[in-house]
Amino acid sequence: MTPQASKKVPDGKLVRVDIDVEERIDTVTITGDFFVEPPEARRDLETAIEGHPVDVDRETILAALEAVEATLIGFAASDLADLTMEAL
Amino acid sequence: MTDEPWMIIDSGTYSEPVQQALERVLLDRVDSGEIGPTLRVWYRESPAVALGRFQSFADEVAVEYVESQEIDVVRRITGGGAMFVQPGAVVTYSLYLPTDLVSDDIRQSYADLDQWALEALRGLDLDVHHEPLNDIAHAEGKIGGSAQRRTDAAVLHHTTMSYDLDIAEMLRVLRIGEEKVSDKAIESAERRVARITDHVDASRSAVIDALKHGIRDRHGANERELTDRELDSARDLVGEQFGIDEWNRQL
Repeated sequence: MTPQASKKVPDGKLVRVDIDVEERIDTVTITGDFFVEPPEARRDLETAIEGHPVDVDRETILAALEAVEATLIGFAASDLADLTMEAL
Repeated sequence: MTDEPWMIIDSGTYSEPVQQALERVLLDRVDSGEIGPTLRVWYRESPAVALGRFQSFADEVAVEYVESQEIDVVRRITGGGAMFVQPGAVVTYSLYLPTDLVSDDIRQSYADLDQWALEALRGLDLDVHHEPLNDIAHAEGKIGGSAQRRTDAAVLHHTTMSYDLDIAEMLRVLRIGEEKVSDKAIESAERRVARITDHVDASRSAVIDALKHGIRDRHGANERELTDRELDSARDLVGEQFGIDEWNRQL
């Protein structure tokens, strides 16, 4: 199954999070019309969400996302944490 | 601080993969200090979609339709949204700049790098303003959008504006509000997209001339052509990146 959640960030961009769940959060795909510098950091954000148990709490996901070195434009780590919780 | 003279490249008609490859080639050449600040005006061969770096191909594009119409869908090196483009119906230009000419504050840099273009368009009596983060807007809707990519020493800021884009065709190509395809959706997309020709009686070449004058007045730019080496590099990148599904359909 592929849970997903998307939102238009107020004054920002459209962000979509797709999650493949096995035992744990297996594969995450983050797409949208946002900006990330450097662009490779988009994958790092996905990796930060992957591997956690499906009952992970929002704070854990947010902390993992905030540890990624990236400039996010048009969305924030908190939006990705919200979308992850919603998709799960 | 760079004191290299500005250059303008305003020639050459290329496919969408070559156009998007040229962005990487010219950005890299500014990054390495081989060339100075440059404005390039684009001329396209055929209708195409320029997809944002982080967008999902299948979410943004009506896949069957673009395949049946042989419309190139090419992923950009910049984030932002999908643009449908037709030859002669949009105005696209790129600025390739040394980082020291651009604000570190990304939001501010979008406003700064749109400012000269807004002034050029206002000179044609087109009432436009910058709408954060990255839109050029008219009271009736969005005229165009910009997108940036930053390397260590260079910034790409490219912009596409609707000159007289076929909005009905755009709605067949892009999946804008497809789940609720109705007259209402079309009306609202038409409201959101404002075209230059809806508001001023200026030829497309007059718009391009006004933009070039804007850069020349500020920076005293000279014109040049793309070099054979730049074009060869771009064509190589088409085979490796911009012309293949591994890049264009990666998401």
